[in-house]
Amino acid sequence: MTEAAGHVAAGETLLAVERISLRFGGVTALNDVSFDIRRGEIRAIIGPNGAGKTSMLNVINGFYHPQRGAIRFHGENLARMNPGFAARSGIARTFQNVALFRGMTTLDNLMAGRALKMKRGLFWQLLRHGPALDEEIAHRRVVEDIIDFLEIEAIRRVPVGRLPYGLQKRVELGRALAMEPELLLLDEPMTGMNLEEKEDMCRFILEVNSQFGTTIALIEHDMGVVMDLSSRVVVLDYGRKIADDVPDAVKQDPAVIAAYLGVAG
Amino acid sequence: MHFLYLVFIDPFVQMGMAPDLLAQTLWEGLVSGVLYALIALGFVLIYKASGVFNFAQGIMVVFAALTLVGLYAAGVPALLALALTVAVMFVLAVAIERLVLRPLVNRPDIILFMATFGLTYVLVGMGELVFGGDTKQMIAKQLYLPSGAIDLAMLGGRVTLQKLDIAAAIIASVMVAALAVVFQYTRIGRALRAVADSHRAALSVGISLNQIWVIVWFAAGIVALATGIMWGARSEVSFALEVVALKALPVLILGGFTSIPGAIVGGLIVGLSEKLFELYWGPLMGGGTEAWFAYVVALIVLLFRPHGLFGEVIIERI
Amino acid sequence: MLEGDVAHRDTFPKLLALNARRFGARPAFRHKDRGIWRSWSWTETEREVRAYALGLLRLGLRRGDAFAILGNNRPKLYWSFTAAQWLGAIPVPLYADAIADEIGYVLAHAEARLAAAQDQEQVDKIIAVAERVPGLARVVYDEPRGMRDYDHTRLVAIDDIIAEGRRALAADPSLDAWLDAELAKGGAGDVCVILYTSGTTGRPKGVEIGSGRAIAAAANSVAFDRLDERDEVLAYLPLAWAGDHYLTYAQSLVAGYCVSCPESPETVAENLREIGPTYYFGPPRVFETLLTATTVRIADASAMKRTLYRYFMAVARRYGERILNREPVPPGARLLYALGRLLVYGPLMNALGFSRVRVAYTAGEAIGPDLFRFFRALGMNLKQFYGQTEAFILLTSQADRDVRADTVGPVVADVEVRIAADGEVLYKSASQFLGYLKDAERTAEAMTGDGYVRTGDAGFFDAAGHLHIIDRAKDVGRLRGGALFAPKYIENKLKFFPNIREAVAFGDGRDFVTCFLNIDLTAVADWAERNGVTYGSYQELAGHDRVIALLAEHVRAVNRDLAAEEATAGAQIRRFLVLHKELDADDGELTRTQKVRRRFIAERYARLVDALYDGSETVDVETEVMFEDGRKGTIAARVKIHDMASGAARAERAAA
Repeated sequence: MTEAAGHVAAGETLLAVERISLRFGGVTALNDVSFDIRRGEIRAIIGPNGAGKTSMLNVINGFYHPQRGAIRFHGENLARMNPGFAARSGIARTFQNVALFRGMTTLDNLMAGRALKMKRGLFWQLLRHGPALDEEIAHRRVVEDIIDFLEIEAIRRVPVGRLPYGLQKRVELGRALAMEPELLLLDEPMTGMNLEEKEDMCRFILEVNSQFGTTIALIEHDMGVVMDLSSRVVVLDYGRKIADDVPDAVKQDPAVIAAYLGVAG
Repeated sequence: MHFLYLVFIDPFVQMGMAPDLLAQTLWEGLVSGVLYALIALGFVLIYKASGVFNFAQGIMVVFAALTLVGLYAAGVPALLALALTVAVMFVLAVAIERLVLRPLVNRPDIILFMATFGLTYVLVGMGELVFGGDTKQMIAKQLYLPSGAIDLAMLGGRVTLQKLDIAAAIIASVMVAALAVVFQYTRIGRALRAVADSHRAALSVGISLNQIWVIVWFAAGIVALATGIMWGARSEVSFALEVVALKALPVLILGGFTSIPGAIVGGLIVGLSEKLFELYWGPLMGGGTEAWFAYVVALIVLLFRPHGLFGEVIIERI
Repeated sequence: MLEGDVAHRDTFPKLLALNARRFGARPAFRHKDRGIWRSWSWTETEREVRAYALGLLRLGLRRGDAFAILGNNRPKLYWSFTAAQWLGAIPVPLYADAIADEIGYVLAHAEARLAAAQDQEQVDKIIAVAERVPGLARVVYDEPRGMRDYDHTRLVAIDDIIAEGRRALAADPSLDAWLDAELAKGGAGDVCVILYTSGTTGRPKGVEIGSGRAIAAAANSVAFDRLDERDEVLAYLPLAWAGDHYLTYAQSLVAGYCVSCPESPETVAENLREIGPTYYFGPPRVFETLLTATTVRIADASAMKRTLYRYFMAVARRYGERILNREPVPPGARLLYALGRLLVYGPLMNALGFSRVRVAYTAGEAIGPDLFRFFRALGMNLKQFYGQTEAFILLTSQADRDVRADTVGPVVADVEVRIAADGEVLYKSASQFLGYLKDAERTAEAMTGDGYVRTGDAGFFDAAGHLHIIDRAKDVGRLRGGALFAPKYIENKLKFFPNIREAVAFGDGRDFVTCFLNIDLTAVADWAERNGVTYGSYQELAGHDRVIALLAEHVRAVNRDLAAEEATAGAQIRRFLVLHKELDADDGELTRTQKVRRRFIAERYARLVDALYDGSETVDVETEVMFEDGRKGTIAARVKIHDMASGAARAERAAA
């Protein structure tokens, strides 16, 4: 098997942000931030509220365009990232306040995640026969595997707008997984969950990483989760990077402690 | 007393006395109902997918009809003219997406609505410029639409079905059904529903908003073309045809702005009730009730169910 | 009575082979997985089980070995039973929610040689206690998810074993004959399964069930309800429960009907609707939950739906059961009922998944008569039975058209039931257990001198030959005059009234029965609102004259009920009082499962009990209570005592 252009081996840099600066009017959301994400790792992005974590994900994902700096993905410099391009490149994303198709069922939401993988054109689909039907069935099989993995069979046909918050987050993870991404960006996947739900979510994230080799970058507030899951941590504070190391080192970093205590105290 | 009789008893007596007339009226109501449903669908498609109420839908009907007739008058054979008109509607959809929707994508809905106003006048102007303002005849015969009538002796009298009406009803029903199927069961349909639900989520899944919008406006354009052909064949092609689209408003109110089955049922209700009311209660009010009856019905429905009979009641957890 | 084909088939694997021949292509098992229902015909099932048996043989399973089975209802776990029995090994099912310690005990006690686990969760539990079970050679599992990185020296997937078996058969056709020979070696005397029952005291006991007896029992009940290969059952009750083994395993093999396994415990309601079983069992609690859910849904529905429901449910209550019992009903009423079925009962039963149910049973505890009649009124042929694991299973069962809410039915075929002098129900059954595994002492304890088995329940037969279960035998007492006093029996009857939330009966060794009552605040408050009764506090409402009158009516009704049966007639409630506070688990008066702790209450409220029996009309009490936030406080009250003979009547007149 020949290596595709830009193929990244495990342990090597999959995505790097270099000197990213982002401003909204007078507010500086990100100030000269650089870090990398290696293939196969779980990278945590932490920091006090307002540190710019979500903005960072939005930049990586293409929703925001930084005034300065660049994103390198698969070794290639990207001048303008946009959400469509990010999705097509293999980056999937979940949102802090859950961006699901609320009027559609869990199943439909996950099938929507397969949108990019569907090849057959409108004509074949109208016939609902032959290649289009086979494709639909194949995608449905993938989606059912994800439903089984996330243990959400019981809510398959429930419109997601009616689900409790914790389940919505799980469905959103499912939809991101349906895209079969190389890089999964999770924005506070545990918020609003009770202890049992958090444990389940951790289990799913670890499984996804170990079984499919998916690289994961996640924003998280729960320090316990961060320590358990991640291999490396980036700490942001007021838009600047103040630490970038393994979890144990970061936990003891005086600058990090000051940032958190300073905000709370 | 007598008035009460006239309003509540007499019309039903009359219905009973001349059942063939009743059947005729029901048929005509059904035909116009199906056509209303088709127009309403044009609105629903665009509203569902781009969140904008397309004020220009009516003029698109006229524009499509004019283009078709104009091409034929310029010497293009009928069926080729039809194909070319379809192509024109596609170009129009692309142009609208690129020039109107894309620049205004993150603006408030009211801005987009105003943009469709502007679009209307652009199309009016273009239409007049290219094709002239006088009324024209729809090329029904050339498009192989049947003419003449079928007389059925039934129910003690005679019911006349215009062949054109039959064809129109069938074509409209088929189109409506096809649109409903596409929307619900195909991947494009799912993408359409996704875009209608959440732009942000659709983007992050990789659905191209621009592509979807082109598809939707093109579909609305096809609907406009079909509507234009059939209404034009039953009356004539002029800018007055635009008014037909306004009848879609009560249909949308009844059926909800975002529901395809709602547009269908709403259209049928409006078509049937309007014809029945005109024939049996119209004389009491001096006639001419068709112009306003549908709106009154819509108003009453709004009082009880603001989102229409089928509109989505958004159930969300607090 | 074993008839025709089934006769001479004295082991379950033999029945499987028979079914493969007589019902070959018919579905035997279904399972919803990844969103689709997959099914296996009888022929396919036999093929799988044969290959599975071969695979188990290679893992070292031998005749007489124990094969533990741990998980939810899944086809491969049910096949584990048959594959083990094919080799003459003994399956031992465990509850899916058992904790590691319980599992360890059972595995060690039964000396399990192999264990089948449903998924990673169950495998983890077994691994945790593996050192307590030195004889456990291997663990086989159904779902591989999450175990990719596990040590597979002693772990293997069931799919892999079956595949191995298939390969072996393909390579060596003589194994087919060998399997047939093994099948023939099995006989009626084999232990076909060991079901562990958790006693309320001490360690679980392993009930050994004999193969021939089990099949005979199942054949009887299959004939009783005319079950056949066209029936459909949803297997949702715990695999290790004797009832499930009877309904889903034994009866299905005898009758040849199809068993469907749900996708997950959370999807059972949905799967019920999808499958539409024809034969259904649910404990009373399940029916209660369904009724509550229905009532709530109706309360939220539109006014028109509510009116329709009320009207047609009234029709159903009047005629439904009579129609079900094939009693004569005026044609007008029949028409009305049919209309009701179209508009209300049909859609309702459909929503619950019961549209196709021909026969339904409930058992395990007393069911409220209203609840029972509700479902029968809707046209569901709901009946009761009574039995025990040790009897494998049935002792009494109600026949169609001879169904009553307050009995468990007449004795079934090949069973003899006797009532001991102290009221305990004793039986001798052709299908009773062989004994408790490795526990001759407790086996002897469970039997009487002349070979009858003790059920531990007290009961009596009425004139129609129906058995009534009163209470646990050890709880039944006697009044001073000798009349039978069954406190729980009386308390249950009182609690069937919505206005009474809790009741405690006293009378053992006394001259007559008395009781404490707790009002159900919601129900009584609702009643008070509708009847213009005002009150300022729980105590005031509980002590209100009109409320007392209402409760007296209920007590009178219960007394009438008790008087109707000779066995219980002696225990009439002569006096009662309404407690000034609700009985609470936080105060130790109820267990965490809301059961009354009679002795504790009797001690705590000794003053009240004394007052009940010394003729006082009022008594002042002070009770210490624990509030929800943990604070302690006292409630003082003057409690009035009411006589059924005169006092309550006085209250009624005063309130009128």
